[in-house]
This record gives sequence, C-alpha cells and structure tokens, in this order.
Amino acid sequence: MQELKPKILVIDDEKALREGIKSFLENESFYVEIAKNGLSGIELALKNDFDIIMIDMKLPDIEGYEVLKKIKESKPNSICIVSTAFASIEAAVSSVRLGAFSYIPKPFSPDELLFQLEQGIKQRKILVESELLRNEKEEFLLEIANEKSRLNTIIESISSGVLLINKIGELVYFNHAALNKLNWKSIQIGEYILERLPDELKNILKDFLNAETIINKSITTQIEIVTKGVMFLDATCSAVLHSDGSFAGVVIILKNITGFKKNEFIKNQFISMVAHELKSPVLAALGFLQLMQDEKIKITKEQEVDFFNRSVQRLKGALELINDLLDISRMEMKKKYREIVCVNINKIISNIIPIFELEISKKNIHLALQLGDNIPEINLDTSEISRMFMNLMSNAIKYNRNGGYINIFTKLESNYILIKIMDTGIGLKEEDKGLLFNEFFRAKNKLTKNISGTGLGLTIVKRIVESYQGKIELESEFEKGTTFIIWLPINNSSKNG
Amino acid sequence: MSLIAIIDDDPDIIEATTLVLKSKGHKIITASNPEDGYELVILNKPDLIILDVMMDEPDDGFFLAQKFRKEKVKTPILMYTSVSKAIGFEFGAGEMVPVDDFVEKPISPDEIIEKVSRLLN
Repeated sequence: MQELKPKILVIDDEKALREGIKSFLENESFYVEIAKNGLSGIELALKNDFDIIMIDMKLPDIEGYEVLKKIKESKPNSICIVSTAFASIEAAVSSVRLGAFSYIPKPFSPDELLFQLEQGIKQRKILVESELLRNEKEEFLLEIANEKSRLNTIIESISSGVLLINKIGELVYFNHAALNKLNWKSIQIGEYILERLPDELKNILKDFLNAETIINKSITTQIEIVTKGVMFLDATCSAVLHSDGSFAGVVIILKNITGFKKNEFIKNQFISMVAHELKSPVLAALGFLQLMQDEKIKITKEQEVDFFNRSVQRLKGALELINDLLDISRMEMKKKYREIVCVNINKIISNIIPIFELEISKKNIHLALQLGDNIPEINLDTSEISRMFMNLMSNAIKYNRNGGYINIFTKLESNYILIKIMDTGIGLKEEDKGLLFNEFFRAKNKLTKNISGTGLGLTIVKRIVESYQGKIELESEFEKGTTFIIWLPINNSSKNG
Repeated sequence: MSLIAIIDDDPDIIEATTLVLKSKGHKIITASNPEDGYELVILNKPDLIILDVMMDEPDDGFFLAQKFRKEKVKTPILMYTSVSKAIGFEFGAGEMVPVDDFVEKPISPDEIIEKVSRLLN
C-alpha cells in the first residue's frame, strides 16, 4: 500500500519563503499548500486535514497566535510549528502554551526544517492513532453498556433469584426475585451479605470462598424460608471466574420449589400409608406361620387349620390391596389403556349382579333393581364402570345386616344418568362421611371391626366417576344404611380422541 | 409366670403373640384399641404391656404410653410398630416416647420371648 504523502500547510506572508519551502518540500515528497495571510490560512486549515501547519508569527492581517489558537480549537490533533524572525524565549513559551508543537526561529536551514517536520509527523501519528483508539474504546464501552442493560433486563425478568457475590463476601449483582425469595426488604451493591444468608447457603459459600483450589462444580442445597407460610428454595452456587481463570466470586441461583415439595410430601405420605397397609396382613400371616413353625409352641390341630385359613385370608387381602393400587396407578395413566365404547349402564349392572349372587343369598339380602327404561347409551370403558359398580355392590353387601335390603336405581335426569345404590347397612357417623373417599380410610367402630377391606374401594369409585366428569355423593345414617348417588353426564367428553 | 397385656388393633397379631407367650407360661390379657387397653391395664395391673403404635387410631399407642406414664403407671412397656422407617419413627426406646423397648415388626417368637423375659427381670 502506498503511504500517503504528509500534508503540510505553510502560512507565511513572505512570498519567496513560502514558495521556496513549497518546492523544497515537494521535492522531499510532501504534499504542500500555502497561504499568504492568517485568515486564508485558517480557512484552508479548517477545510482540510493537514498533518502539519507552519505558522509565521508575523502576518499582515491577524496575529500568528490567533491563527494558532483558532486552528488548535477546531483541529486539536493538527501539529502546528511556529516560525518567526523575532525569536525570543517568551514567544516560544507562549506559542507552546497555545498548543504549538515546536518553535523554529528564522532563518532556518532546510535540514532544520526537515528535522522539525519529521518530529512533527511522528507526533501527528501518535495523536491520530490515540484518537482512533479513543473512539474505538468509546464505541466498545457503549456496546458494553448496551449489553449490560440488555443482560440486566433479562436477569431481572427471570423468576429465579440471582445473587453474585465477590470473593470477600460482598454483593456485586442481584435481581429482585432474589430479594423476594430470601424475604429481604433491601440489599445494596457492595454490601457484605455473607452473614445475612441462611446458614446452609452461607456454609457452602464459605467453602467456595475459602477453597484453596477453585471448586469446579455447582453445589446445590435446599433452604426453608419462613414467611407467612414456609417457602422451600433450591439454591445452586457456582464459582465465577475472571477471564484469566482466577476466582472472581460465586453466583447463587434461587428457585422456588415449594409446589414440588408439597407433591413430594403427599407422595411420601401415600407411600407410608401403602407400606403400613401392606405390611399388616403380611405380618399377621408371618406371625401365624412362625407360630406353626416353632416346635416349642404347642398348638392343636384345630388351631393349626384356623391359623392356616386366616393366613390365607390375610394374604388374599394383601393381594386385593395390591390390585387396587395397580388400578389406581393405571387410572393415573388413564386414557392410554382405556377402551371407550358406547354402552348401556343398565346392562352393566345386570351383568354384575350374578357375580354377587352367592354372597347375597348367604346374607339373605333382598335385592331390588329399578332400572329406568329410557337410559341412553354413553361412552365409557366397560371394565372401569363394572369395577365401579362391583366396589359399590361389594360394600353394600359387606356392610349390610343379615336379611337387609339393597336397591339399585337408574334414571335419566336432563343431561345426566342418575344412579342410586341404597343399602340397609351400618351407615356412617357424621364425622366419617367427609373422609369416606380418602385413601385407606375405613370407618372404625364396633360394627366394622370384623369387616375386612383395603380402604381403597371408594377412592377408586370416586376417581372413576370424576374421570367421566361425573359426580358422587352419599346420604347415610348411622346404623340405618347408606345411599351412594352418582351422576354420569350423557354428553361426556371422555370419548376417545 | 407373669401377667402380660397385649394392646394391638390386629386380632391376628394378638392371637399369634398370645400363643407364643402362653407357651412360656405367661397369662395374657388383650385389648384391640387404646381405650380398652387403658382400662385393661388400670383394672388388671399387668407386669408388662405390649403396645402397638396403632397409627389409625385418633389416640394412638404413643398417646396411650404417655398417658400411662403421666398417671404414674410404671409397668414396663414393649412398643412395636410395623412401619417406623417409612414414617420417620427412627428413634430408640425412651427417646421420644416413655417406653422401655421399641422394635419394628416382624418379631420372631424367639425374639419376643427374649425381649419379654428381659423386661420382666
């Protein structure tokens, strides 16, 4: 690339001198313009971008100082060399004060001139480059500022809390979600907040800050924040590094996991209940078996048969419970396995009755069916609805008195099929009614003492009814009987697809 | 020969435990809920109480044990439960409840005989 010729402006009223300099410098590969007085010199200087401007101090129109001042004002990067025939220290000092690069007394030799120009050009290069750098830096800073504000907006709008802490435990950055999560009213950038953090978090942070080698992984802990209720937070700490890889601080991300915790609690509670309910029959059967196994303990043949039968009974109960649990989990994953067909409820009921015939006659129960004749077919999974009726029928028999009654009633009622199953059993105490559909709830009183059950039957019934957008209610009087009332919508939307 | 009260809501467990202890010549009295169990103990003053946690009852086995101790019934209590681990009852005897031994079922006939004879001495 061809280097541009240095551009020189010579402002001098002495024609011979300025022309002489011009031709001399052009020979030396400079680009030269000339001006014969101050004003035209200023005009040229402002219009063009000269590298070096030579200003004679004594000009016919205005003072050389004025010219220098004007030019430096609007072109601070231009190099001005002042020349004069009346050289004096004072003049030199005052011109340098006004921004002149150097001072050259007249007369000067071509070598002196060239030397001054070379020095000037070097300085000019430095000035131009540093201006370029300054501009670049400003642009860069502006970009960073934009980037920062963009990042601020993003971090401020996320729902997780963010705290950035430097290596001496001071707050460097935060978003307001972090304040909410920690239930803090305010914090200040630069504040020492290590001690304000919940203990679990503080300890992890101290590990990070005191580590001899940088901890290279994220560490997560759970913390409880007690406000009006309890909030569970998941706090993840990770080291933040400088660009050279040295430790800068720690970023803490806070997530609210209260909802998740609640579900977990419900799940654990359910598992405990299941474990308890499953363990009881197994323990009882095991107790009997160990008893029979132990030769030191004498039992009669009669007792042995009894224990055997009871063990079988309890294990069957456990199996029944396992099946109920499987049903419930299948229902949780419903639709996948559902086979929806158009069926008549009356038909399902009629198909189920024979299954219970033996038990009904054993207890000498009178069964009456009042099935409506205009019941429309609806979309259902036959095995699910059969299960629903079987659970209700089995309860109606199990909790009935000998010689009691069961009435099953169906009727079309506007958009619903109304189903009632009434028994003359032991009924429910007022306080037990609300609990009846809960998992593993079984009313406990002297009347239920010898009736076995899993405690899941009605839970299953309720889930089936509700999965078809239906409704189940009960009317009951203690020691008189219970009636279950079910509404199933006709235009049910649980149709496949 | 000692008089032992078994309080458990599972009739099968009561029966099996009764037979095991009877084989050692003990006399057994039983109750199937905390309320009856309380009366049984107050009336008969047994030498040992075997008490189930009976978590389904509103006033469970823990409650009953506390009630006995509050009323200065000093009879040793062997408490057992079926699901201590699942519901976080992982503590030793006397730690949270005023009982003399706390075990998780199942307990073999030998084990129960051993524990009973230790508590009776």
